[in-house]
Amino acid sequence: MTTPTTEESRGAVEPGALDATRLRTLQRVGMLCGLTAGAWLGAAEAPTKLVTLGLSPVVISLSMVIGVFLARWTLPALIQGTSYVAADLRQAPHLIVWAVLAGCLWAVANTLTIFAVRDVGLSIAFPLWNSNSLLGIFWGIVFFQELRGADWRRWLGVIGGALLMFAGATALALASAKQVPAHDAARGVAAALGAGVLWGTMYIPYRKAYLTGMSPLSFITFFTVGELGMMTALALTYSGGVSPLWAQLSGARHVLFWLLAGGFVWVVGDLFQQYAVKYAGITRGIPLSNTNQLWGLLWGILVFGELRTASGSVLTQVIGGSLVMAVGAGLIALSSVSRSEHSHWQKAAASEGERYGVDPEYTQSRIASGSASIVRRRTWIDWLVVSVATAIIIGFALIAKAPQIELAWGWTTALVILTLGMLAAAGLRLWRATRFN
Amino acid sequence: MTDNRRGQTLGSWLGLVLRDVQFWVPVAVLVGGLLVLRWISS
Repeated sequence: MTTPTTEESRGAVEPGALDATRLRTLQRVGMLCGLTAGAWLGAAEAPTKLVTLGLSPVVISLSMVIGVFLARWTLPALIQGTSYVAADLRQAPHLIVWAVLAGCLWAVANTLTIFAVRDVGLSIAFPLWNSNSLLGIFWGIVFFQELRGADWRRWLGVIGGALLMFAGATALALASAKQVPAHDAARGVAAALGAGVLWGTMYIPYRKAYLTGMSPLSFITFFTVGELGMMTALALTYSGGVSPLWAQLSGARHVLFWLLAGGFVWVVGDLFQQYAVKYAGITRGIPLSNTNQLWGLLWGILVFGELRTASGSVLTQVIGGSLVMAVGAGLIALSSVSRSEHSHWQKAAASEGERYGVDPEYTQSRIASGSASIVRRRTWIDWLVVSVATAIIIGFALIAKAPQIELAWGWTTALVILTLGMLAAAGLRLWRATRFN
Repeated sequence: MTDNRRGQTLGSWLGLVLRDVQFWVPVAVLVGGLLVLRWISS
Protein backbone atom coordinates (compact mmCIF):
# COMPACT_ATOMS: atom_id res chain seq x y z
CA MET A 1 0.00 0.00 0.00
CA THR A 2 1.30 3.47 -0.87
CA THR A 3 2.47 5.16 2.29
CA PRO A 4 1.85 8.85 2.94
CA THR A 5 4.69 11.09 1.86
CA THR A 6 6.92 12.74 4.45
CA GLU A 7 5.16 16.04 3.81
CA GLU A 8 1.81 14.40 4.42
CA SER A 9 3.03 12.74 7.59
CA ARG A 10 4.52 15.93 8.96
CA GLY A 11 1.92 18.28 7.59
CA ALA A 12 -0.27 20.29 9.89
CA VAL A 13 -3.35 18.37 10.90
CA GLU A 14 -6.60 20.25 10.43
CA PRO A 15 -9.03 20.28 13.35
CA GLY A 16 -10.99 17.05 13.31
CA ALA A 17 -8.67 15.46 10.76
CA LEU A 18 -7.53 11.89 11.24
CA ASP A 19 -3.93 11.18 12.15
CA ALA A 20 -1.86 9.28 9.60
CA THR A 21 -1.96 5.98 11.50
CA ARG A 22 -5.74 6.04 11.89
CA LEU A 23 -6.16 6.97 8.22
CA ARG A 24 -3.95 4.07 7.12
CA THR A 25 -5.82 1.66 9.37
CA LEU A 26 -9.21 2.65 7.94
CA GLN A 27 -7.84 2.46 4.41
CA ARG A 28 -6.54 -1.06 4.93
CA VAL A 29 -9.81 -2.14 6.50
CA GLY A 30 -11.73 -0.62 3.57
CA MET A 31 -9.55 -2.41 1.02
CA LEU A 32 -9.86 -5.73 2.89
CA CYS A 33 -13.63 -5.27 3.01
CA GLY A 34 -13.66 -4.68 -0.77
CA LEU A 35 -11.76 -7.91 -1.44
CA THR A 36 -13.93 -9.87 1.01
CA ALA A 37 -17.03 -8.45 -0.65
CA GLY A 38 -15.77 -9.86 -3.95
CA ALA A 39 -15.36 -13.34 -2.43
CA TRP A 40 -18.86 -13.37 -0.89
CA LEU A 41 -20.66 -11.79 -3.83
CA GLY A 42 -19.01 -14.44 -6.03
CA ALA A 43 -19.98 -17.24 -3.64
CA ALA A 44 -23.60 -16.05 -3.74
CA GLU A 45 -23.82 -17.35 -7.27
CA ALA A 46 -23.23 -20.93 -6.06
CA PRO A 47 -26.63 -21.62 -4.40
CA THR A 48 -28.46 -20.30 -7.45
CA LYS A 49 -26.62 -22.84 -9.63
CA LEU A 50 -28.22 -25.61 -7.57
CA VAL A 51 -31.65 -24.65 -8.77
CA THR A 52 -33.03 -26.60 -11.65
CA LEU A 53 -33.89 -24.70 -14.76
CA GLY A 54 -37.43 -23.75 -15.68
CA LEU A 55 -38.16 -20.97 -13.22
CA SER A 56 -39.18 -17.54 -14.40
CA PRO A 57 -36.30 -15.02 -14.09
CA VAL A 58 -38.55 -12.65 -12.15
CA VAL A 59 -39.43 -15.40 -9.65
CA ILE A 60 -35.72 -16.21 -9.20
CA SER A 61 -34.95 -12.54 -8.61
CA LEU A 62 -37.87 -12.02 -6.22
CA SER A 63 -36.97 -15.14 -4.20
CA MET A 64 -33.39 -13.97 -3.83
CA VAL A 65 -34.60 -10.54 -2.75
CA ILE A 66 -36.80 -12.14 -0.07
CA GLY A 67 -33.67 -13.88 1.28
CA VAL A 68 -31.84 -10.58 1.03
CA PHE A 69 -34.63 -8.84 2.98
CA LEU A 70 -34.48 -11.41 5.78
CA ALA A 71 -30.71 -11.11 6.01
CA ARG A 72 -30.72 -7.32 5.91
CA TRP A 73 -32.93 -7.18 9.00
CA THR A 74 -31.39 -10.13 10.84
CA LEU A 75 -27.71 -9.17 10.65
CA PRO A 76 -28.13 -5.59 11.96
CA ALA A 77 -30.42 -6.85 14.75
CA LEU A 78 -27.81 -9.44 15.73
CA ILE A 79 -24.70 -7.28 15.39
CA GLN A 80 -25.83 -3.85 16.58
CA GLY A 81 -29.45 -4.10 17.70
CA THR A 82 -32.39 -2.17 16.27
CA SER A 83 -31.99 0.52 18.94
CA TYR A 84 -28.62 1.35 17.38
CA VAL A 85 -30.26 1.58 13.94
CA ALA A 86 -32.97 3.85 15.36
CA ALA A 87 -30.38 6.09 17.01
CA ASP A 88 -28.51 6.35 13.71
CA LEU A 89 -31.66 7.39 11.88
CA ARG A 90 -32.52 10.01 14.47
CA GLN A 91 -29.20 11.66 13.66
CA ALA A 92 -29.74 11.62 9.90
CA PRO A 93 -33.41 10.87 9.06
CA HIS A 94 -33.04 12.16 5.50
CA LEU A 95 -30.94 9.09 4.70
CA ILE A 96 -34.09 6.92 4.83
CA VAL A 97 -35.15 8.50 1.52
CA TRP A 98 -31.70 7.94 0.04
CA ALA A 99 -31.62 4.33 1.24
CA VAL A 100 -35.04 3.50 -0.23
CA LEU A 101 -34.04 5.17 -3.51
CA ALA A 102 -30.84 3.10 -3.65
CA GLY A 103 -32.87 -0.09 -3.05
CA CYS A 104 -35.18 0.80 -5.95
CA LEU A 105 -32.17 1.36 -8.23
CA TRP A 106 -30.76 -2.05 -7.25
CA ALA A 107 -34.02 -3.89 -7.95
CA VAL A 108 -34.49 -2.39 -11.43
CA ALA A 109 -30.81 -3.03 -12.27
CA ASN A 110 -31.02 -6.65 -11.16
CA THR A 111 -34.12 -7.23 -13.27
CA LEU A 112 -32.45 -5.62 -16.29
CA THR A 113 -29.51 -8.04 -15.97
CA ILE A 114 -31.89 -10.99 -16.26
CA PHE A 115 -33.29 -9.65 -19.51
CA ALA A 116 -29.76 -8.81 -20.71
CA VAL A 117 -28.53 -12.37 -20.16
CA ARG A 118 -31.62 -13.67 -21.94
CA ASP A 119 -31.09 -11.44 -24.98
CA VAL A 120 -27.32 -11.27 -25.51
CA GLY A 121 -25.88 -13.92 -23.18
CA LEU A 122 -23.60 -13.59 -20.19
CA SER A 123 -20.46 -12.97 -22.25
CA ILE A 124 -21.61 -9.61 -23.55
CA ALA A 125 -23.89 -8.64 -20.68
CA PHE A 126 -21.47 -9.12 -17.76
CA PRO A 127 -18.70 -6.73 -18.82
CA LEU A 128 -21.28 -4.17 -19.90
CA TRP A 129 -22.96 -4.01 -16.50
CA ASN A 130 -19.59 -4.31 -14.75
CA SER A 131 -18.88 -0.87 -16.17
CA ASN A 132 -20.78 0.33 -13.09
CA SER A 133 -17.46 0.75 -11.27
CA LEU A 134 -16.25 3.22 -13.91
CA LEU A 135 -19.41 5.28 -13.48
CA GLY A 136 -19.08 4.97 -9.71
CA ILE A 137 -15.55 6.40 -9.92
CA PHE A 138 -16.92 9.26 -12.03
CA TRP A 139 -19.60 10.14 -9.46
CA GLY A 140 -17.04 9.81 -6.64
CA ILE A 141 -14.80 12.37 -8.32
CA VAL A 142 -17.59 14.75 -9.39
CA PHE A 143 -19.80 14.76 -6.29
CA PHE A 144 -17.66 13.64 -3.36
CA GLN A 145 -14.20 15.05 -4.11
CA GLU A 146 -12.60 11.62 -4.29
CA LEU A 147 -9.10 11.61 -5.84
CA ARG A 148 -8.93 15.41 -5.39
CA GLY A 149 -5.52 16.30 -4.04
CA ALA A 150 -4.22 12.85 -4.99
CA ASP A 151 -0.93 12.62 -6.89
CA TRP A 152 -0.71 11.30 -10.44
CA ARG A 153 0.32 7.79 -9.23
CA ARG A 154 -2.94 7.38 -7.35
CA TRP A 155 -4.97 8.67 -10.28
CA LEU A 156 -3.14 6.24 -12.55
CA GLY A 157 -3.55 3.41 -10.05
CA VAL A 158 -7.31 3.85 -9.66
CA ILE A 159 -8.29 4.70 -13.23
CA GLY A 160 -5.75 2.31 -14.78
CA GLY A 161 -6.65 -0.45 -12.34
CA ALA A 162 -10.38 -0.06 -13.04
CA LEU A 163 -9.77 -0.16 -16.80
CA LEU A 164 -7.58 -3.26 -16.43
CA MET A 165 -10.30 -4.95 -14.36
CA PHE A 166 -12.85 -4.07 -17.03
CA ALA A 167 -10.60 -5.58 -19.73
CA GLY A 168 -10.01 -8.71 -17.63
CA ALA A 169 -13.74 -9.04 -16.93
CA THR A 170 -14.47 -8.83 -20.64
CA ALA A 171 -11.95 -11.61 -21.40
CA LEU A 172 -13.35 -13.81 -18.62
CA ALA A 173 -16.93 -13.29 -19.66
CA LEU A 174 -16.14 -14.13 -23.29
CA ALA A 175 -14.27 -17.27 -22.24
CA SER A 176 -16.90 -18.53 -19.85
CA ALA A 177 -19.78 -17.81 -22.18
CA LYS A 178 -22.26 -20.49 -23.02
CA GLN A 179 -23.38 -20.59 -26.62
CA VAL A 180 -26.49 -18.51 -26.11
CA PRO A 181 -27.94 -17.19 -29.33
CA ALA A 182 -28.49 -13.45 -29.29
CA HIS A 183 -32.06 -13.06 -30.42
CA ASP A 184 -32.41 -9.36 -29.75
CA ALA A 185 -28.99 -7.79 -29.44
CA ALA A 186 -29.99 -4.11 -29.26
CA ARG A 187 -32.41 -4.63 -26.38
CA GLY A 188 -29.99 -6.89 -24.53
CA VAL A 189 -27.13 -4.41 -24.80
CA ALA A 190 -29.45 -1.58 -23.68
CA ALA A 191 -30.54 -3.68 -20.68
CA ALA A 192 -26.95 -4.49 -19.66
CA LEU A 193 -25.78 -0.89 -20.06
CA GLY A 194 -28.88 0.29 -18.19
CA ALA A 195 -28.05 -2.05 -15.29
CA GLY A 196 -24.48 -0.69 -15.21
CA VAL A 197 -25.74 2.91 -15.12
CA LEU A 198 -28.27 2.12 -12.37
CA TRP A 199 -25.72 0.30 -10.21
CA GLY A 200 -23.05 2.90 -10.83
CA THR A 201 -25.47 5.65 -9.77
CA MET A 202 -26.58 3.66 -6.73
CA TYR A 203 -23.20 4.49 -5.19
CA ILE A 204 -24.28 8.15 -4.85
CA PRO A 205 -26.72 7.30 -1.99
CA TYR A 206 -24.12 4.92 -0.50
CA ARG A 207 -21.49 7.62 -0.34
CA LYS A 208 -23.97 10.23 0.91
CA ALA A 209 -24.79 7.99 3.86
CA TYR A 210 -21.23 7.06 4.72
CA LEU A 211 -19.78 10.56 4.45
CA THR A 212 -22.42 11.52 7.00
CA GLY A 213 -21.11 8.79 9.29
CA MET A 214 -24.03 6.36 9.16
CA SER A 215 -23.29 2.69 9.80
CA PRO A 216 -23.86 0.41 6.80
CA LEU A 217 -25.86 -1.84 9.12
CA SER A 218 -28.36 0.99 9.59
CA PHE A 219 -28.44 2.00 5.93
CA ILE A 220 -29.23 -1.48 4.61
CA THR A 221 -32.33 -1.92 6.77
CA PHE A 222 -34.07 0.80 4.75
CA PHE A 223 -32.24 0.08 1.52
CA THR A 224 -33.96 -3.30 1.52
CA VAL A 225 -37.42 -1.76 1.91
CA GLY A 226 -36.92 -0.04 -1.45
CA GLU A 227 -35.38 -3.22 -2.84
CA LEU A 228 -38.25 -5.53 -1.85
CA GLY A 229 -40.95 -2.97 -2.64
CA MET A 230 -39.66 -2.30 -6.14
CA MET A 231 -38.95 -5.99 -6.82
CA THR A 232 -42.46 -6.98 -5.71
CA ALA A 233 -43.95 -4.31 -7.98
CA LEU A 234 -41.86 -5.51 -10.92
CA ALA A 235 -42.70 -9.17 -10.24
CA LEU A 236 -46.42 -8.41 -10.08
CA THR A 237 -46.22 -6.37 -13.28
CA TYR A 238 -44.24 -8.89 -15.31
CA SER A 239 -45.95 -12.01 -13.93
CA GLY A 240 -49.43 -10.72 -14.73
CA GLY A 241 -50.76 -10.09 -11.21
CA VAL A 242 -50.97 -11.58 -7.73
CA SER A 243 -52.49 -14.98 -8.65
CA PRO A 244 -50.04 -15.91 -11.42
CA LEU A 245 -47.09 -14.80 -9.27
CA TRP A 246 -48.33 -16.79 -6.28
CA ALA A 247 -48.83 -19.85 -8.49
CA GLN A 248 -45.23 -19.56 -9.74
CA LEU A 249 -43.85 -19.15 -6.21
CA SER A 250 -45.89 -22.13 -4.97
CA GLY A 251 -44.65 -24.24 -7.86
CA ALA A 252 -41.06 -23.38 -6.98
CA ARG A 253 -41.37 -23.92 -3.21
CA HIS A 254 -39.00 -26.92 -3.22
CA VAL A 255 -36.10 -24.83 -4.50
CA LEU A 256 -36.87 -21.50 -2.86
CA PHE A 257 -34.52 -22.30 0.04
CA TRP A 258 -31.50 -22.33 -2.28
CA LEU A 259 -32.47 -18.96 -3.70
CA LEU A 260 -33.02 -17.55 -0.21
CA ALA A 261 -29.60 -18.91 0.77
CA GLY A 262 -28.07 -17.23 -2.27
CA GLY A 263 -29.68 -13.96 -1.19
CA PHE A 264 -28.37 -14.38 2.35
CA VAL A 265 -24.78 -15.00 1.18
CA TRP A 266 -25.10 -12.07 -1.21
CA VAL A 267 -26.02 -9.75 1.68
CA VAL A 268 -22.82 -10.62 3.55
CA GLY A 269 -20.84 -9.63 0.45
CA ASP A 270 -22.89 -6.50 -0.04
CA LEU A 271 -22.38 -5.48 3.58
CA PHE A 272 -18.61 -5.65 3.14
CA GLN A 273 -18.98 -3.70 -0.10
CA GLN A 274 -20.77 -0.96 1.82
CA TYR A 275 -18.01 -0.85 4.43
CA ALA A 276 -15.48 -0.69 1.58
CA VAL A 277 -17.29 2.34 0.15
CA LYS A 278 -17.37 3.94 3.59
CA TYR A 279 -13.70 3.49 4.45
CA ALA A 280 -11.96 3.28 1.06
CA GLY A 281 -14.36 5.41 -0.99
CA ILE A 282 -16.23 4.52 -4.19
CA THR A 283 -13.08 4.83 -6.28
CA ARG A 284 -11.33 1.97 -4.44
CA GLY A 285 -14.11 -0.04 -2.78
CA ILE A 286 -16.28 -0.75 -5.80
CA PRO A 287 -13.59 -1.94 -8.25
CA LEU A 288 -12.16 -4.24 -5.54
CA SER A 289 -15.56 -5.79 -4.83
CA ASN A 290 -15.99 -6.34 -8.57
CA THR A 291 -13.46 -9.18 -8.19
CA ASN A 292 -16.65 -11.19 -7.54
CA GLN A 293 -16.43 -12.28 -11.17
CA LEU A 294 -13.14 -14.08 -10.42
CA TRP A 295 -14.72 -15.88 -7.46
CA GLY A 296 -17.81 -16.81 -9.46
CA LEU A 297 -15.51 -18.32 -12.06
CA LEU A 298 -13.58 -20.27 -9.40
CA TRP A 299 -16.82 -21.75 -8.06
CA GLY A 300 -17.99 -22.54 -11.58
CA ILE A 301 -14.78 -24.25 -12.70
CA LEU A 302 -13.66 -25.98 -9.50
CA VAL A 303 -16.96 -26.92 -7.86
CA PHE A 304 -19.44 -27.26 -10.71
CA GLY A 305 -17.00 -28.55 -13.34
CA GLU A 306 -17.65 -25.80 -15.86
CA LEU A 307 -15.18 -25.41 -18.75
CA ARG A 308 -14.19 -29.08 -18.26
CA THR A 309 -14.29 -29.63 -22.00
CA ALA A 310 -13.00 -26.18 -22.89
CA SER A 311 -10.28 -25.82 -25.49
CA GLY A 312 -6.75 -24.68 -24.71
CA SER A 313 -7.41 -21.22 -26.15
CA VAL A 314 -10.44 -20.73 -23.89
CA LEU A 315 -8.43 -21.78 -20.83
CA THR A 316 -5.64 -19.39 -21.85
CA GLN A 317 -8.23 -16.63 -22.11
CA VAL A 318 -9.55 -17.49 -18.63
CA ILE A 319 -6.10 -17.49 -17.04
CA GLY A 320 -5.10 -14.30 -18.89
CA GLY A 321 -8.32 -12.49 -17.97
CA SER A 322 -7.97 -13.54 -14.32
CA LEU A 323 -4.39 -12.29 -14.15
CA VAL A 324 -5.33 -8.96 -15.74
CA MET A 325 -8.19 -8.53 -13.25
CA ALA A 326 -5.91 -9.41 -10.34
CA VAL A 327 -3.30 -6.88 -11.51
CA GLY A 328 -6.03 -4.23 -11.80
CA ALA A 329 -7.29 -4.99 -8.27
CA GLY A 330 -3.70 -4.87 -6.98
CA LEU A 331 -3.10 -1.45 -8.56
CA ILE A 332 -6.22 -0.07 -6.90
CA ALA A 333 -5.33 -1.63 -3.54
CA LEU A 334 -1.93 0.08 -3.73
CA SER A 335 -3.47 3.49 -4.41
CA SER A 336 -4.37 4.37 -0.85
CA VAL A 337 -5.91 7.70 0.09
CA SER A 338 -3.36 10.37 1.01
CA ARG A 339 -3.82 12.90 3.81
CA SER A 340 -4.36 15.57 1.16
CA GLU A 341 -7.13 13.59 -0.55
CA HIS A 342 -8.72 12.72 2.76
CA SER A 343 -9.00 16.40 3.65
CA HIS A 344 -11.15 16.80 0.52
CA TRP A 345 -13.34 13.90 1.71
CA GLN A 346 -13.79 15.77 4.96
CA LYS A 347 -14.82 18.91 3.09
CA ALA A 348 -17.44 16.87 1.23
CA ALA A 349 -18.61 15.39 4.55
CA ALA A 350 -18.81 18.84 6.14
CA SER A 351 -20.83 20.09 3.19
CA GLU A 352 -23.27 17.17 3.58
CA GLY A 353 -23.60 17.79 7.30
CA GLU A 354 -24.22 21.48 6.74
CA ARG A 355 -26.84 20.84 4.08
CA TYR A 356 -28.84 18.39 6.20
CA GLY A 357 -28.14 19.75 9.66
CA VAL A 358 -26.29 16.67 10.89
CA ASP A 359 -24.37 17.08 14.13
CA PRO A 360 -20.67 17.37 13.14
CA GLU A 361 -19.67 15.55 16.31
CA TYR A 362 -21.76 12.57 15.23
CA THR A 363 -20.07 12.44 11.83
CA GLN A 364 -16.61 12.87 13.29
CA SER A 365 -17.07 10.32 16.06
CA ARG A 366 -18.23 7.68 13.61
CA ILE A 367 -15.03 7.98 11.60
CA ALA A 368 -12.36 9.08 14.02
CA SER A 369 -12.87 7.07 17.16
CA GLY A 370 -14.64 4.01 15.88
CA SER A 371 -16.93 4.05 18.87
CA ALA A 372 -19.78 6.48 18.67
CA SER A 373 -21.50 7.44 21.88
CA ILE A 374 -24.41 5.13 21.18
CA VAL A 375 -25.13 2.25 23.51
CA ARG A 376 -25.63 -1.11 21.85
CA ARG A 377 -28.29 -3.18 23.52
CA ARG A 378 -30.58 -5.94 22.35
CA THR A 379 -34.29 -5.67 23.02
CA TRP A 380 -37.15 -8.13 22.53
CA ILE A 381 -37.68 -6.58 19.07
CA ASP A 382 -34.22 -7.77 17.98
CA TRP A 383 -34.86 -11.30 19.16
CA LEU A 384 -38.29 -11.27 17.51
CA VAL A 385 -36.77 -10.19 14.17
CA VAL A 386 -34.06 -12.85 14.39
CA SER A 387 -36.54 -15.57 15.45
CA VAL A 388 -39.06 -14.84 12.68
CA ALA A 389 -36.35 -14.69 10.00
CA THR A 390 -34.76 -17.92 11.25
CA ALA A 391 -38.14 -19.67 11.38
CA ILE A 392 -38.90 -18.67 7.77
CA ILE A 393 -35.52 -19.93 6.56
CA ILE A 394 -35.88 -23.22 8.49
CA GLY A 395 -39.40 -23.59 7.09
CA PHE A 396 -38.14 -23.33 3.51
CA ALA A 397 -35.19 -25.63 4.34
CA LEU A 398 -37.58 -28.33 5.58
CA ILE A 399 -39.49 -28.44 2.30
CA ALA A 400 -36.40 -28.04 0.11
CA LYS A 401 -35.28 -30.88 -2.12
CA ALA A 402 -31.63 -31.81 -2.38
CA PRO A 403 -30.22 -30.59 -5.68
CA GLN A 404 -29.52 -33.23 -8.30
CA ILE A 405 -26.16 -31.87 -9.32
CA GLU A 406 -22.61 -33.16 -9.14
CA LEU A 407 -20.30 -31.21 -6.87
CA ALA A 408 -16.56 -31.46 -6.29
CA TRP A 409 -16.77 -31.69 -2.51
CA GLY A 410 -13.04 -31.21 -1.93
CA TRP A 411 -13.02 -27.89 -3.76
CA THR A 412 -16.33 -26.92 -2.16
CA THR A 413 -14.80 -27.40 1.28
CA ALA A 414 -11.65 -25.51 0.33
CA LEU A 415 -13.57 -22.53 -1.06
CA VAL A 416 -15.97 -22.45 1.89
CA ILE A 417 -13.02 -22.45 4.32
CA LEU A 418 -11.27 -19.72 2.32
CA THR A 419 -14.41 -17.58 2.11
CA LEU A 420 -15.16 -18.01 5.82
CA GLY A 421 -11.51 -17.21 6.58
CA MET A 422 -11.80 -13.94 4.68
CA LEU A 423 -15.03 -13.18 6.56
CA ALA A 424 -13.31 -13.81 9.90
CA ALA A 425 -10.23 -11.76 9.00
CA ALA A 426 -12.15 -8.81 7.59
CA GLY A 427 -14.81 -8.96 10.32
CA LEU A 428 -12.18 -8.96 13.05
CA ARG A 429 -10.23 -6.07 11.51
CA LEU A 430 -13.46 -4.16 10.98
CA TRP A 431 -14.57 -4.71 14.57
CA ARG A 432 -11.21 -3.65 16.01
CA ALA A 433 -10.95 -0.56 13.85
CA THR A 434 -14.56 0.64 13.69
CA ARG A 435 -16.77 -1.45 16.01
CA PHE A 436 -18.88 -2.03 12.87
CA ASN A 437 -19.71 1.65 12.62
CA MET B 1 -24.36 25.16 13.76
CA THR B 2 -26.82 26.23 16.42
CA ASP B 3 -29.30 23.87 18.07
CA ASN B 4 -32.10 26.09 16.79
CA ARG B 5 -30.97 25.77 13.21
CA ARG B 6 -30.41 22.03 13.61
CA GLY B 7 -33.95 21.66 14.88
CA GLN B 8 -35.31 23.54 11.91
CA THR B 9 -33.36 21.48 9.38
CA LEU B 10 -34.32 18.18 10.98
CA GLY B 11 -37.93 19.26 10.86
CA SER B 12 -37.82 19.79 7.12
CA TRP B 13 -35.38 17.08 6.03
CA LEU B 14 -37.67 15.86 3.27
CA GLY B 15 -37.65 19.33 1.75
CA LEU B 16 -33.88 19.39 2.03
CA VAL B 17 -33.65 16.11 0.14
CA LEU B 18 -35.92 17.41 -2.61
CA ARG B 19 -33.84 20.58 -2.94
CA ASP B 20 -30.60 18.61 -3.18
CA VAL B 21 -29.53 18.57 -6.85
CA GLN B 22 -27.67 15.28 -6.30
CA PHE B 23 -30.99 13.63 -5.37
CA TRP B 24 -32.41 14.14 -8.86
CA VAL B 25 -29.52 12.33 -10.56
CA PRO B 26 -30.46 8.85 -9.20
CA VAL B 27 -34.17 9.67 -9.60
CA ALA B 28 -33.65 10.48 -13.29
CA VAL B 29 -31.57 7.32 -13.73
CA LEU B 30 -34.27 5.24 -12.01
CA VAL B 31 -36.98 6.61 -14.32
CA GLY B 32 -34.73 5.94 -17.31
CA GLY B 33 -34.13 2.38 -16.09
CA LEU B 34 -37.85 1.74 -15.74
CA LEU B 35 -38.42 3.04 -19.28
CA VAL B 36 -35.67 0.76 -20.65
CA LEU B 37 -37.23 -2.17 -18.76
CA ARG B 38 -40.63 -1.41 -20.24
CA TRP B 39 -39.15 -1.19 -23.73
CA ILE B 40 -37.16 -4.45 -23.59
CA SER B 41 -40.01 -6.43 -22.05
CA SER B 42 -42.62 -5.32 -24.58
